[in-house]
Amino acid sequence: MNKDTNSDSSKPKKRRRDEEIEAESSSSDRTLSLEENLTFSDTLVALRIMRAQFPHIDKVSIRPFILQSQLYSSVNDRTQVDRELESLRRERVLRVFKLNTGQDDHAIMFLDDYLNQIECVVKRMEEKKQVNLEVFEWFQTHVLDSKLEPSVGHEELVSGSDCSLLSIVGKVKDEHISLLINAGILTRQLIDPDMYWFAIPNIGSVLKGLSQGRKEILSFLNRRKYKEMMLALLEKKHLRFSPLDMRFHLRDLIGSGHLKTIHTPTGLVVQISKD
Amino acid sequence: MWKEIGGREAGQIRPNSFANRVKSHRLSTLQLSNYKEIVSPHKGSINSLQVDLTEERYLLSGASDSSVAVYDVQRATDYEGGGHIAKHRSVFVVDKQHEHGHKYAISSAIWYPVDTGLFVTGSYDHYVKVWDTNCTRVVMNFKMPGKVYRTAMSPLAASHMLIAAGTEDVQVRLCDIASGAISQTLSGHRDGIMTVEWSTSSEWILVTGGCDGAIRFWDIRRAGCFRVLDQSQSQLGRRPPLLKRKVSISKSLSAGQNSSVKPRAPQKKSANGNGVRQSSVGRIPAKGSVRQRLHPGMLSSQDRATAHYGAVTGLKVTENGMYLLSAGSDSRIRLWDVESGRNTLVNFETVRLQTSKPIQLATTQDPAVVFVPCMTAVKAFDIWSGKTCLTFRGHYEYVNCCCFSSQDQELYTGGNDRQILVWCPSRHISDGVDAGPMQDQDNWSD
Repeated sequence: MNKDTNSDSSKPKKRRRDEEIEAESSSSDRTLSLEENLTFSDTLVALRIMRAQFPHIDKVSIRPFILQSQLYSSVNDRTQVDRELESLRRERVLRVFKLNTGQDDHAIMFLDDYLNQIECVVKRMEEKKQVNLEVFEWFQTHVLDSKLEPSVGHEELVSGSDCSLLSIVGKVKDEHISLLINAGILTRQLIDPDMYWFAIPNIGSVLKGLSQGRKEILSFLNRRKYKEMMLALLEKKHLRFSPLDMRFHLRDLIGSGHLKTIHTPTGLVVQISKD
Repeated sequence: MWKEIGGREAGQIRPNSFANRVKSHRLSTLQLSNYKEIVSPHKGSINSLQVDLTEERYLLSGASDSSVAVYDVQRATDYEGGGHIAKHRSVFVVDKQHEHGHKYAISSAIWYPVDTGLFVTGSYDHYVKVWDTNCTRVVMNFKMPGKVYRTAMSPLAASHMLIAAGTEDVQVRLCDIASGAISQTLSGHRDGIMTVEWSTSSEWILVTGGCDGAIRFWDIRRAGCFRVLDQSQSQLGRRPPLLKRKVSISKSLSAGQNSSVKPRAPQKKSANGNGVRQSSVGRIPAKGSVRQRLHPGMLSSQDRATAHYGAVTGLKVTENGMYLLSAGSDSRIRLWDVESGRNTLVNFETVRLQTSKPIQLATTQDPAVVFVPCMTAVKAFDIWSGKTCLTFRGHYEYVNCCCFSSQDQELYTGGNDRQILVWCPSRHISDGVDAGPMQDQDNWSD
């Protein structure tokens, strides 16, 4: 029943329906229906469960990330989500990145995952025998620690009033910053030439899949007569253009307001929301 | 309702809480009025609405066809529907045919805060005009360098009569009615300025929001702005916690993130972005280098903090002067604490907001609700939790402006469909004093 949607999902076994009991805990929970687990009680619980549910993509090695719109659809109170995210960010448990796929898209990644991702990229650059890899060390130890916002200014990286940014490497020059941009860890801002966004390396193809998957779901629902479909049926559909699974996209679209869920006697129905 | 009046009479409920209960009850029943209608003579989309501040009786509207109209919202001009529907036609209309009227769209029409003898209009034809209401004549004309997006006058001003005008030029101009000249320009924004608001707690403080996404606070007695709001500086709650404030200030100073007055140590960049960069702190700039010497008050012009990821399209200061609401073209509404300058992280559930035109927000104090035009509907959000209380759907096209009259708890909205709609608390049929004589009939009468 729908009261399961509000329960703390750390105790799934007690409340699942019979046919799902054979699925074990978090790692292989594709059989956990989205309808049962749409909302969670707490932001950190939601983040951990969604991280565990992140789909495995074959060609790209990418650590799990969660979109902010997915969090909005998973926890009832959006202000609580924002505030808990802010306190988790300040405690350096996770980092928030601004994505270029949409108007207000942000990706959240746990700090350990992000550091692992950077390690993968550094290893690959080492194999190609690039020089000056200590800039990545400096970046991980100093910049990530002191700059918690999604963007950083050029002068904060190069000079700054904070001496710790300079100490190890001596003087961070433009070549070092070019290395960081080549690795995909920093991106220039389009509006302002002196500001950079922090970015997740190797994420490009996944973001493309994200935009295409969104368009595919929205166009599929728009073509239907009443622009709606049962959630239980919709989540079994397979997406052609996106490596991410349907559950990921549905959480994202519901949270960003493009889709809305309606409770009906037969279950949840997903409908295109007209504003 | 009667129980509450009895409680007030017996002294169980305080006067203020009684008034607030009645107001919130009326607010929760707001709907498209079925007994009051404003007949709009405009032939273009309505860009600005304002009820006068002294009596809340006259509504001023400015439209894209260069017309300005005033309506009396308390007394109807005629009645229809057997006396049930009150129609409010305009008291007068000024349009393009007027010899000194505006030539292009009027983006902003506001009353003179002291009385309704004057009103000020700003238009895309680069002019700000001051009009005499009784003679419908232009008294003063100010030429601006670009399209005027917003004009504002301080409701608290006792010693100045300045009109703040935000245009597509990067400078905010203050026009003085007393002298007839543009008395001050405020520089700091890096793109056009879409919204201008005066503070409701001080007559000298002006808040502006620009197309570059920055919100700046200006004290007009000083040069430069004293605060730039940064969306990443946030606090978790209505006010910052008392003890933690000192820690956060020292942290922010050391991280160089201080968004208010920067330290005087030369952290300057040259005026041509990619030029010489200064690498260490404490070096006094050499005379021969290409560097702009800035007045210490102007250092904030280099602060590039943004409040929104797009243009700031709407600003509203709450009536107690403690909080600021800002709407941006990134479809976000943010609530800022004015004292600490931080984002309170209240999430207002908006999906899309208009991006090309400035929108006008309205707030009420005691039920603490903000009315926001979201595309074709107007939504009322609770300020502290961000949840949608009410949605008003009635316009056929995008809504640009809304105005709330706190005396009568009525909401006036104007949009691109050239209509001004009135949203009133629902009235019981038996309350209708204007009910015409009912004939002796029942359901089966012919």
